[in-house]
Amino acid sequence: MLVPISWLREFVAVPNDAQAVADRLAMLGFPVAAIERRPRIAGVVVGRIATVERHPNADRLLVARVDVARPQAQTIATAATNVAAGQTIAVATIGATLPELTIRARTMRGVASEGMMISAGELALPAPWFEDGIMQLDGSLTPGTDVVEAFGLDGDVLDVEVTPNRPDAMAILGLARELAASYDLPLRVPSFVNPGRREEPPGARPAVSVESPDCERFVAQRFDGLRVGPAPAWMRIRLALAGQRPINNLVDVSNYVMLETGQPLHFYDAGEIAGGRLIVRDAHDGERLITLDGVERALSPRALVIADEARALGLAGLMGGASSEVTPATTAIVLEAANFNGPRIRRMSAALGLRTEASARHEKSLAPALTDAGAARASQLLTDFGATAYRPHAFGAPAAAAPPIALHVAEVERLLGLALPAERIVRHLRALGCEAVVTQNGTALSVTPPPWRRDLAIAADLVEEVARIEGYDRIPEALPSVPAHAISSAAFQLENAIALALAGLGYHEVVTHSLRRSGGPAAVEVRNPLSEEHRVLRESLAPGLIEYFAGAGEPIRVFEIGRVFARDGDRLVERTGAAFGFSVDGPGEPSWRDSAFLRLKGDCEALLRRVTGARAAVTPGSVPGFHPGKTGSVTLGDRRVGVIGAVDPRRAKACDLPGNAYLCLIDVDALPPHRTPHYRVRSKFPSTYRDLALTVDTAVAAAEIEEAIAQVLGSLCTEVRAFDEYRGPQVGEGRKSLAVRVTLQRSETTITDEEADDAVTRVLDALGERFGATIRT
Amino acid sequence: MTNLAENLRDLQQRFTVAAEAATDERALESLRVAYLGRNGEVTKLRRAIGELPAHERPQAGKAVNDVVAVMEERLRRRLENFDSRKVASELAASIDVTFPAIPAALGSLHPVRRIIDESCAYFRRHGFAVVVGAEAESDYYNFDALNIPSDHPSRESFDSFRLSDGMLLRPHTSAMQIRTMQRHRPPVAIVAPGKCYRRDAVDARHLFQFHQVEGLLVAEGIHFGHLKGMLTRLCRQLFGPDQNVRFRPSYFPFTEPSAEVDTTCPKCRGARGPCSMCGGSGWIELGGAGMVHPCVLREVGYEPDRYSGWAFGFGVERLGLARYEVDDIRRFVASDRDFLTQLA
Ligand SMILES: [Zn+2]
Repeated sequence: MLVPISWLREFVAVPNDAQAVADRLAMLGFPVAAIERRPRIAGVVVGRIATVERHPNADRLLVARVDVARPQAQTIATAATNVAAGQTIAVATIGATLPELTIRARTMRGVASEGMMISAGELALPAPWFEDGIMQLDGSLTPGTDVVEAFGLDGDVLDVEVTPNRPDAMAILGLARELAASYDLPLRVPSFVNPGRREEPPGARPAVSVESPDCERFVAQRFDGLRVGPAPAWMRIRLALAGQRPINNLVDVSNYVMLETGQPLHFYDAGEIAGGRLIVRDAHDGERLITLDGVERALSPRALVIADEARALGLAGLMGGASSEVTPATTAIVLEAANFNGPRIRRMSAALGLRTEASARHEKSLAPALTDAGAARASQLLTDFGATAYRPHAFGAPAAAAPPIALHVAEVERLLGLALPAERIVRHLRALGCEAVVTQNGTALSVTPPPWRRDLAIAADLVEEVARIEGYDRIPEALPSVPAHAISSAAFQLENAIALALAGLGYHEVVTHSLRRSGGPAAVEVRNPLSEEHRVLRESLAPGLIEYFAGAGEPIRVFEIGRVFARDGDRLVERTGAAFGFSVDGPGEPSWRDSAFLRLKGDCEALLRRVTGARAAVTPGSVPGFHPGKTGSVTLGDRRVGVIGAVDPRRAKACDLPGNAYLCLIDVDALPPHRTPHYRVRSKFPSTYRDLALTVDTAVAAAEIEEAIAQVLGSLCTEVRAFDEYRGPQVGEGRKSLAVRVTLQRSETTITDEEADDAVTRVLDALGERFGATIRT
Repeated sequence: MTNLAENLRDLQQRFTVAAEAATDERALESLRVAYLGRNGEVTKLRRAIGELPAHERPQAGKAVNDVVAVMEERLRRRLENFDSRKVASELAASIDVTFPAIPAALGSLHPVRRIIDESCAYFRRHGFAVVVGAEAESDYYNFDALNIPSDHPSRESFDSFRLSDGMLLRPHTSAMQIRTMQRHRPPVAIVAPGKCYRRDAVDARHLFQFHQVEGLLVAEGIHFGHLKGMLTRLCRQLFGPDQNVRFRPSYFPFTEPSAEVDTTCPKCRGARGPCSMCGGSGWIELGGAGMVHPCVLREVGYEPDRYSGWAFGFGVERLGLARYEVDDIRRFVASDRDFLTQLA
């Protein structure tokens, strides 16, 4: 909301310093998004034109004699055509400073011109919003008056943000009240006494039927004797500074009152209300209405309209209709100052895609009491413009006083940690318009919020008001002593342990988008996506990392920990996943060997060892999206906890990976809790080892051989580990050579060569029998 | 005997010449084998002693032993000489220590996690637990239980991704307040970091997914001053000891009183000049905070007259922008190796 400082200063004597006022407003809860600085203008005064004559030497110039309250009238030549004797205008005298020029005495075609009559644009007002040529001022102004001072043109304009709980502060007066309370300055409130007293002539009394519960109060008032024309300059300038385009005196009054008090108004041409009755009702299905913006709208019963006996005249709280619009010929109007249900207006506004200054206020649930104040202010202004005001008629619920709120003085200290005496609390609350009475020997207050503050309902609300006016910066900082509790941090710690282990293993953590272009049949779709690119919740972390590899270009090791989603019937399943892996330039090994896979497997084992204390195994398996021959399941005991493998080369290619990528996906939620490892004393007798070169079918897994050897030897064998594999013509088609080291040790005596040789014989017999293994010579 | 003495002299002479001529340890070793080894020349002579008359044997043996001692001494000296030459040549080596290092293979944590970790570590030191929750949450936990009924105007500021009737991607981490309080009686002291989603058009300052850290402390005697104290010290932890924090009144349906929390712009240090980070205000927005609304306490069965508490929530990426002086928030999710390695 644009707030001219000069307008604020009509109600409260804040400093004419935009930054200071902006800082103060921010500390009251109204941050200022921007400060619009007004240019420096000096030496512009009110002038009254005494005579206008043609320039003796130029057809297109006029020469005026202008009274600026100096001993002699000034002679001023102008090219403008809208000047006439008797007009009151703005004159930049010799030496005046305007945004783009300094006025000097000069001779125009032989006539010495002592200054310049100026336009709105030259006063840094939006030129298209004002008359062409010289700006017309009000005849009531005394010549010689400083124009900048009179119209507040030197005051900067603040763009103030108002939180949705404070529609009362979407008004100059509301903000002025806040500042007055904060600066401890008096607030000069305009009178809200409605000057309309007379009874209407027969048949002219406005009738209102409120047929919807969504209209709490409706004030209608008739005015006669209007002449539509431009509003006075002071009003037009104020509106323009506040970003509101001046239209005519009637429209301007309704906007002015809305900006000043916060109450939106609407004026109906009294002659266009069929039956003289306004009806607040739901729209009929398919009912059509042309709104003031010229758009014809088809309505549904969800829309709330103001209608006459024949048809809808306007959208309640949003925008009036064209049929009853004020025209240059209008002489009589009916004013509407109404209160509508906020949520109803918001839904209507959203459904129609129409948002106005009025709806922005109504949708936040204005206070019903504002209706009477708004009507009164409009009535004063219209009367000033020469209209006859009849008495206002209010319909709907009377503005009931809010019930008093009990506030214990100790509550302020309990919630803020700042002890304030009762008198100070009372003073702050009264400054905001509350009635506050001390009760219970000074330990409690009975507080009645002002009628315009619907947001104050409980003691905590009042504590906030007190804190705002006292100043949040006056609340002392303190450290709480946190009592013991039993809430576990285990899930967070597990994620962190994984992240730290992977970082230690050389992986860089990344964050990718949870929303993706497409997914499988169980994928969870977003109903209202922002774009096609981000339509579906990820089911796996793999696609994000593959995209990351592609985007990074050169090989990189990355990991991500995040949520993955799937639909299981009607249920939405969300799990935590951890994925890590790396991209490689390209294959450089025979088809039966992949050291990149083994490196990833080593990292996987190290990670799971670190976070669970258990040894992971990889068993062959295939997973869509992974290479069919280079993929396995990661298991801990009999629990499957993840997948490891090379990315399916077709998928890598489709994703524009220059080489390929290897990924391990861990289901974090499936990981068993960490088991503390225990130390076992090793045998102090020397060990020995035997390397076996075996030939087996390619289908026999190294893990099977290792397991079989361990089984045959039992406690004699402390470690068995395959350390080399070879396939090729020397071992024959369908066979492979495996080199396995078997470490042998006894716990109570040194193992002899004979024992070791005997063990090897037993192993070879068993392997030969079970796997057809032969010794390679 | 004379013959033996002559042979010995001859041997010793030849040995001396060869030992002096040897240029490395290997040559000395083969010399040792040739003279003193199992089949060496001296050993052969020693065998010959057995053929001498008995009375000559002791003298001959002594002569041979003397020669062996001399030879061994010479070998030892020569060997020592080679060792010190080797050490000397090792000491003579010299490298360019300014040559670029071989890079370590250490990975890194994402800047978002680092801020979350440091914040959570700070709160854990003060007795808070860290909890994590679901990203897909219900309207009840995201809104209704937080005193935001469906007609509430502030629902607008939470423009959310909807998944189904009543389910959405959480627009803030505040649902964790309710979930935790429903499960535990007071005292409750938690921080809840996590990913959130809002339907914001993506630009240099906005992402539709971002991280928040939520905090909640409810017990007897907890007040706004404690909130100020904790958050001020958190910012000093993250940005340094001179960091200031400002609390401005604001509005959230789930807190009362409510505050917007700002902290000194780390780039311009609050100079209020032109600044790309804070736009010249001297402050960057940390997030929202306030005293938990009595309606929220009542919703989870806490007695608002007995217990009080505060909650806060701040945006991690926005803090990251300021802390690491990142120009564009999109870098936090982009495939940008440079971003990761620079901030690693
Ligand atoms: Zn800055």
